[in-house]
Amino acid sequence: MSSLSALGQRLLQLIPVLIGISLVSFLLVQLSPGDPVRLLLGDRATAEAVAHLREQYGLNQPLIAQYFSYLSNVLHGDLGHSIRYQMPVGSLILDFVPPTLFLIAYVVAISVPATVVLAIVSARCRDRWPDHLIRALAILGMTIPVFWLALMMSRFFGVELGWFPVSGYGKGFLEHLHHLFLPAISTATWLVPLLLRNLRAALINETESDYVTASRSKGLGEGYIFRRHVLVNSVLPTLNLLGVMIAFLIGSSIVVEIIYAVPGLGTLMVGAVLGRDYNVIQGLTLFYALASVIVTLTIDILSTTIDPRVKL
Amino acid sequence: MITAKSKQRLLDVEKLSIAFGNVPIVKDISFGVDAGEILGVVGESGSGKSITCRSLLGLLPRAASVSGRIGFDGKNLLALSGEEMRAIRGRDISMVFQNPASHLDPLMTLGGHVMESLRHHFGQTRKEARQNAIDVLREVQINEPERRIDAYPHELSGGMKQRGMIGSATACRPRLLLADEPTTALDVTVQARILDLLGELNRTQGLSIVFVSHDLAVVAELCHRVVVMRNGEIVEEGPANEILRSPRHKYTKLLIDSQPSLLTLPPVAREEQAKTPLIEVDALSITYSKPGALPGTRKDVVRALQEANLTVEAGESLGIVGESGSGKSTVARAIMRLAEPSGGEIRFRGRNIAALKGTELSEYRRKVQMVFQNPFDSLNPRMRIIDAIAEPMIRHGLATRNEALGRARELMRQVELPLEFADRKPRQLSGGQCQRVGIARALALDPEVLIADEVTSALDVTIQAQILRLLQRLRSERHLTVIYISHDLSVVRKFCDRIAVFRAAKLVELGSAEAVFDRPKESYTKLLLQSAPRLERALERTGASDAGHGRD
Repeated sequence: MSSLSALGQRLLQLIPVLIGISLVSFLLVQLSPGDPVRLLLGDRATAEAVAHLREQYGLNQPLIAQYFSYLSNVLHGDLGHSIRYQMPVGSLILDFVPPTLFLIAYVVAISVPATVVLAIVSARCRDRWPDHLIRALAILGMTIPVFWLALMMSRFFGVELGWFPVSGYGKGFLEHLHHLFLPAISTATWLVPLLLRNLRAALINETESDYVTASRSKGLGEGYIFRRHVLVNSVLPTLNLLGVMIAFLIGSSIVVEIIYAVPGLGTLMVGAVLGRDYNVIQGLTLFYALASVIVTLTIDILSTTIDPRVKL
Repeated sequence: MITAKSKQRLLDVEKLSIAFGNVPIVKDISFGVDAGEILGVVGESGSGKSITCRSLLGLLPRAASVSGRIGFDGKNLLALSGEEMRAIRGRDISMVFQNPASHLDPLMTLGGHVMESLRHHFGQTRKEARQNAIDVLREVQINEPERRIDAYPHELSGGMKQRGMIGSATACRPRLLLADEPTTALDVTVQARILDLLGELNRTQGLSIVFVSHDLAVVAELCHRVVVMRNGEIVEEGPANEILRSPRHKYTKLLIDSQPSLLTLPPVAREEQAKTPLIEVDALSITYSKPGALPGTRKDVVRALQEANLTVEAGESLGIVGESGSGKSTVARAIMRLAEPSGGEIRFRGRNIAALKGTELSEYRRKVQMVFQNPFDSLNPRMRIIDAIAEPMIRHGLATRNEALGRARELMRQVELPLEFADRKPRQLSGGQCQRVGIARALALDPEVLIADEVTSALDVTIQAQILRLLQRLRSERHLTVIYISHDLSVVRKFCDRIAVFRAAKLVELGSAEAVFDRPKESYTKLLLQSAPRLERALERTGASDAGHGRD
């Protein structure tokens, strides 16, 4: 059970990481300017009212005490209370998570097959016209700003043609698919080129490796060699990149979510930052960090199943 | 002369020419292989031997243009379609390559490599193929094939990987096996066993083998007939013992004379011996480890060297011999102060080198210089030759730029490099010339000790002979002390006064060259000596086996 103990060790290593994240998220909010109590009560509130509310939220205690009470609350599953929404941050986040997760899953479901197909075509037709075309389109996709593309698509397909809704999340799986199609495509437009270039380079590199020559010397067919040897050996770097990008997407779907008015985490985050909703910002930061850690861990576990040389 | 049993021609190569663009690589060569015969193809780098080998299977890059005829089993392989050629590859003719580590798919099990040939050519089911693969692995002498079949290449030793590759090549019982330097990347003891295995397959299965090698001694041990190639042409061809005993072509003669065991090196004039040794290695231990998961802990501790004791006398040449992972390079790194001892110490003229600091340390670094194995990789590709040689003198502040360049020219003369090369870049030089640059650079600081780490193992034998002569001359002229690290016993025997044999991080034997070679005490040293292919011994053996061959 060495793999289980390795997994246990990995999980142990996460503890200091998580403590660090909680500390940073706590301090960042504390050190930034603006007073949430003033915001809540308005400029004309009396000093007593302000003092009372500060005491109620524990904001008058020393910083270190505030941190420890925060930490102990977090460990009990209590992320605090949203000042703005007047509800527990934990359940608030849970309310906003599904659209974002759905969007990311949607993006991945579109991007991964597209990447694999395009990269294979590109690598196998290396330096011929399909390769040139795919690479040119990839550069185009990477350079178009997401916000601009999202605005244009929302205007054209949503408003002019009326094929897709321009806002919201809908009810039920099919409606989700319909509502989130444009946001997902806008995101995939820059994600696919990134993964594609990575995979294409790996494929070309592996095609020239010695074990491919050795496989040819055994009389194996080109198609078999590509599927069974080249492709399997090439996916690992791209898989790792995909992991990083998913973790990145969780925290950076803001632009797309705002433009298409998707009620996801990005929308929640922007509202919380503008409203100085400390507890929500802290809760979200922690959630993002946790999500990144989980994604990375999942990718690492996946890598060990593909490559026996990779150790957790 | 009429032989009792007329042999069947299996492979017939006629007027084969291969060119890349306008550059001819192989020029109009013809040779043949009989059924059940082992043909050795010998030549140095650039002789076209590997290209010829690959052309037999149609594995050349598209840019190559091939003409002539490759007759196999009544067919001209060059006229076959891609589909027809694929049916022959792996089924009738298969190939084993030099580096087993890179020629096996790291993500496929050993069994998978054998099974894919069987499933592809014979359409076997997974279950049948697996059963047969276990038998094949047993035939190539892999212990516990039932367990090893599921091992990945990285879990296996180099020799085991090469056995696996031979297994995957011979799984479909081909009639001809092309072996392209199959033992060059392996340790001598492993090499000896792989050669045995190939001989065994030849005898039991009647497998014909084309054995390509740069190593004449290896070819002499294994092959019935030999083809000697040079610059894309066959210069000589004939039975192995005949060619090796009485070579007709002058190039073949040069090849044989360059064999380290037959080499004559000029004697070295040594100064009178000092009382204390120059370098004392005292109970030196070195362990490598990396940080563990928790702070303050270490894991994966590798003992690279355990309590080694040896001395180096001024003016002598000490040979350090061992197989990969034996700790021989670790000793050199420790003497260079590139590896931190975890126990024991190294003294230079009685002073612990770990205590040296500042100017004393840089003085020590000047006195002990190193030449590396790969002549290309150890030179900056963007630096001119003359600058590469002059750089250490400028860096150590020993000379102005002009003085340094002047001295670099003098050094080039000493290492017998033409002065026209001064402005060239390393890529424009051959391997042997680059190695001369490496030696000149090491000599630039006027060292007392030169550590040569496998300096000739990447070079052809004729070049190796030149470099050894050069080092020998420099020893006399400069009273150099040389620590010569090598896996090649015959080179060490010629070149070194004393020899230290390392195995598995331990010093197993230390003594004068004659004592170690003629009266080895340790069983490991004996095994090493037996495993090393030696031309003379091989000739005696082929002579004997040919006599036996004639009787049946």
